Amino acid sequence: MANQEMQVVDKKELAPESAELTRNGLYFTPAVDIFETDTELSVVVDMPGIHPDDIEIDLRENILTLVGESKEEQPKGEDLLVEYKSGGYYRTFRVNDLIDHDKIAASMSDGVLTLKLPKSAKATPRKIPVVT
Amino acid sequence: MRSLIPWRWKEGQSAPENALTEFRREVDDLFNQFFGKSGPLSYFAGGFNPPFDISETDQEILVKAELPGVDPKEIEVNISGSTLTIKGDKREEREEKTENMHRVERSFGHFSRSITLPCEVKEDSVEAGFKNGVLNLKLPKTESSKKKSIKIDVN
Repeated sequence: MANQEMQVVDKKELAPESAELTRNGLYFTPAVDIFETDTELSVVVDMPGIHPDDIEIDLRENILTLVGESKEEQPKGEDLLVEYKSGGYYRTFRVNDLIDHDKIAASMSDGVLTLKLPKSAKATPRKIPVVT
Repeated sequence: MRSLIPWRWKEGQSAPENALTEFRREVDDLFNQFFGKSGPLSYFAGGFNPPFDISETDQEILVKAELPGVDPKEIEVNISGSTLTIKGDKREEREEKTENMHRVERSFGHFSRSITLPCEVKEDSVEAGFKNGVLNLKLPKTESSKKKSIKIDVN
């Protein structure tokens, strides 16, 4: 047990039952962190190997779809160690009505996509002072 | 757990030491299930351990690693002899602690991996690149470790 190596990050291939893809190649389900503050919802997605230009973010009828297309070329030569495969990423989320759809912002750095989904004015909690 | 049940020695059955190996493997599996990635104690085994791909051509060794969210300035690549060590830190970008977490799937922390290279490389002419969260290393082989094919003369 003690000398056992730590397990490497495992990429989950897209489950076929979720939706058939009409795309070629491998697609993975990226790891996601979602957290909420009083004013916005943040979605942080690990998408290593994807160029910012190859990311499609689509919001239609409350379904947020994130697709990252991989344009990485496979390395030449003989494989010595293969722990991961390069491929695209695909994930969908159902977004609440209370998100201000026009103000969604996305940024990418070092293979991590950050989405900021601001809450619409009616959804931000307001404290109502009680007057005595 | 079949191995725990006493067996009657018959011809063609597995030898006792094979049964013991099998039992050992089952115990190992049990541990892995408990402490491993999806087990209840996976939290303690957690942390960030990036996956690597290594391939070899006649001229060089290519190392690729997926390091999303790692600052390239904080990646340390060391070569000593035929051991390649890559170290770094994946930081959480969250500052506030009052946030509600809905989903936590990404892993963070310090990582360090050492890999034994199959042959000697030119330490001075290693090329390292970092693009979109993927580290690419090109390690050219030394002249003496390049593959040489020897022709056999047939009289």
